[in-house]
Amino acid sequence: MEGDVLIIGGGPAGMETASRISDFKRNVILVEKERELGGHILKWDRLFPDGILASDITNELKASLGNTKVILGSYLASIEKRDDYHFVAQLSSGEIIRCSSVVLATGFKLFPAQKKQEYGYGLYDRVITNEDLETRFKKSEGLGKEAPKRVGFVHCVGSRDEKICNKQCSKLCCITAVKQAIELKQLYPDAEIFCFYMDLRMYGRGYEDLYLEAQSKYGIRFIRGRVSEISQDQSGLVIVKAEDTLASRPLKITLDWVILMAGIISERENDYLTQQLSLQLGEDGFINSLDPIIKTDQTNIPGVFVTGSATGPKTLPEVLSEARSTALTVNEYLNKIKNG
Amino acid sequence: MKERIIFGYDPFVIPFTLGVIFILLYLGTGTVRILLSLKREEAINLLSSIFSVKIFKTFKDILFDVLLHIKIFKRNILLGYMHTSIAFGWFMLIFIGHIEVILYTPQRNGVIYYPVFFRYFVMETSQTLRGAFFFFLMDLFLLIVISGVALAIYKRFRSVRLGMKRTTRLKTGDKIALWSLWMIFPLRLLAESFTADISGGSFLTSTINNLLGRFAESTLYMDTIWWAYSCALALFLFALPFSRYMHIPTEILLIFLRNAGIKSTSSRDGFAESEIYSCSSCGICIDACPMSVSGNKSEYTSVYLLRKLRRRRQDSLFMAEQCLMCGKCVELCPVEIDSCRLKLLKKRENFPNKIFDYDYLGKREPVVESRANLEKKSKVLYYAGCMTHLTPQIYRSLFNIMDRAKIEYSFMDRDGSICCGRPLILSGGENAAKDLVEANSKIILSSNADILLLSCPICFKVFNENYNLKGVKVMHHSQYINLLIQEEKIKLKKGDFSVVYHDPCDLGRGSLVYTEPREVISAAAILKESSNLPNESICCGGSLASRRFTQSERDSVTLHSLEKLNVNNPQKLVTSCPLCLKSFAKLNKRETLDIAQLVENQMI
Repeated sequence: MEGDVLIIGGGPAGMETASRISDFKRNVILVEKERELGGHILKWDRLFPDGILASDITNELKASLGNTKVILGSYLASIEKRDDYHFVAQLSSGEIIRCSSVVLATGFKLFPAQKKQEYGYGLYDRVITNEDLETRFKKSEGLGKEAPKRVGFVHCVGSRDEKICNKQCSKLCCITAVKQAIELKQLYPDAEIFCFYMDLRMYGRGYEDLYLEAQSKYGIRFIRGRVSEISQDQSGLVIVKAEDTLASRPLKITLDWVILMAGIISERENDYLTQQLSLQLGEDGFINSLDPIIKTDQTNIPGVFVTGSATGPKTLPEVLSEARSTALTVNEYLNKIKNG
Repeated sequence: MKERIIFGYDPFVIPFTLGVIFILLYLGTGTVRILLSLKREEAINLLSSIFSVKIFKTFKDILFDVLLHIKIFKRNILLGYMHTSIAFGWFMLIFIGHIEVILYTPQRNGVIYYPVFFRYFVMETSQTLRGAFFFFLMDLFLLIVISGVALAIYKRFRSVRLGMKRTTRLKTGDKIALWSLWMIFPLRLLAESFTADISGGSFLTSTINNLLGRFAESTLYMDTIWWAYSCALALFLFALPFSRYMHIPTEILLIFLRNAGIKSTSSRDGFAESEIYSCSSCGICIDACPMSVSGNKSEYTSVYLLRKLRRRRQDSLFMAEQCLMCGKCVELCPVEIDSCRLKLLKKRENFPNKIFDYDYLGKREPVVESRANLEKKSKVLYYAGCMTHLTPQIYRSLFNIMDRAKIEYSFMDRDGSICCGRPLILSGGENAAKDLVEANSKIILSSNADILLLSCPICFKVFNENYNLKGVKVMHHSQYINLLIQEEKIKLKKGDFSVVYHDPCDLGRGSLVYTEPREVISAAAILKESSNLPNESICCGGSLASRRFTQSERDSVTLHSLEKLNVNNPQKLVTSCPLCLKSFAKLNKRETLDIAQLVENQMI
């Protein structure tokens, strides 16, 4: 198969880049390893800050893909730069793709919460992650038929945590936790909800309002202090030990459910691709752009572009804007090589 | 053989004689000072160890450690030869020198310089060749010493060839002593060669004399070279107290004191002083230290700490706080200096005891969750401690194993532990920790348990060493599982995967538990060895002891340790410490699990 652009990754970043480049009458090939386009938000129910359905966004993105050739359920087995304007990639299905440029929209991975064993994910049934909760929301399961009395959210699980080798801030979890806490409160008005945080980074428009609303309207309690360990009592409830650093006191609380806000880490499964293309990775494992301000979507290899959260945690609007700008950059590049 | 110079004196002996008088006074004062600082019972122990059969062990230790350096031989043959040739060779030169004086010039017996410059003062009465045997021996040992010195010089440039990646940085005193030491033996060879045609010589000195011919016959040159020899000796003796070569005389005292069972009670004085001065700065601890893999941290290794302590520098505290206390340097030290104890004492001397208050411990009523039948004998009390609470999988697996074996047990700290006290002890708060020790002891003793079962080697060490739990057997879960297997209370199927075992510092070197975990693993999987001997296992990087290590520095230690562990390409890594498990699990690309998890998986 031949094309102008090969886009790796069919999440929001990949889809938006694909649709915008095909607007320029380019020949675009989009490869997604899963059987369905959408990426992480496929598992998500509603999106912050206004609670739009994630499926609406995915459908809209899918609808505008235009003439893009979409290959599902395949990943890149290898990729090679033959000369300046010529890449050859082989898919896991064996198919060979020739193209003039490559866009990496490989995204991120959620931190595997079982690595933080003291929080008991995978050991205790009532400890789940943000992703698990969204899946439950999506299936309208909530936290089960029996209304929980007390639920805790643990922020920064596997992000901003040197001990587990992830120093970076995942950026999305603070506001996601606030959103999910409100949703739970709407579902179970009598439940007490606690958020254990280090500090809350409510930087986006409307985020701070949501945070204030969570406290004033929904009575969600925010406790500043990291959770040290989580254990289980005989009845299966979870015991959380933390420190309330504002009251300067250790605290212990028994909860019905704990939701771990698993952070965003780099997709290290793609390291073989970045190696084959000789791309530079940062210490955090994300791909380095040519520069962090102007050439955010270019890499050290001409013809290889990067977009979305493959360069670090980003919110959905940021990802989509960047995808559009990447489409422009790629188009410019293709014009340039055509004109020599 | 007879005396050549009537009064048995020549001015060139003055520098050496002064040097010897100086060093004898210095050593005498030092020894008396250390002996006076001993407590009454220590002094009694010392006396009783001298006047008993123990003295033979002391002599054996002196022969093996000070003269023959057997331990260094075990590390590296060349390095061992270098040390032995110089130490033993030099000793033999002095010893045979004295025999010569006693045999041939008994009237000079007791003159300090005479045995050293014997060849200058005597002449061979031809034909008889009475000294030939000793001359041969003297030449032989001189040759051995010189070969050692040659190796030492070579080592300065290519230490790797003698099994050392890094050597110690030298101070001025060390350099002067080192250079004069290098000079002494070539000068001695020359001096004795120059007089070989008068005093007689053997294969080495006579040959050189013949080769040099007329040149050697000149009295001027002869005197000059004997002066140079005496000056080099004097320079060495005067530099000795300010150099690392103080270990030569001090180690003898150290061996006497150590064999009397004396231990350091201060970081600098008394017994500690003899330890500090016994450090030869050989630098074996630099390569051994896990800190060495992390940037500039090798400057905090034991050899440099001992040097700071010796100079009474304040920053020795800062260095003591760096240490991970894995104990590998103590394990490998050829002089067996317990530098970890000195670091602990240093921290203890500077611990702010007054600011801590443990009154709340008395107010707590700990609830021991009991599944044990209180009337039944052989009850097991399990204490998880803080680290195992952070790795709940470990006690889950262990409880499953015990349930399968139908063992009844109580969980002492299900709802929160009182700390075992070791983190406080490691940071110097031994007195502060006493309150914790007391509170825990009360609970344990009141539970009527026979076995205190622990998963954390850090707790295991402190319960063994700092607690007085009469009638309670303290066991680590690796030992206990091994017991269950031996008693056939659980049965394992041997897996077809390979496993490497990491010895946690506090379990292996700290508590000498090496065999039980290996027996357990051998029953459950194929055990592969790492590149280190069990007692040379490398810290996982997680150690609680260091207050100065940053996370990234810890990670580099972890990676270094993993590299050595995975050298034989095992499929899994098994350890028996929750802290090691946490450190390794996040950076190891292979499956990492606790020994209890492995056993749980392989139970039938």
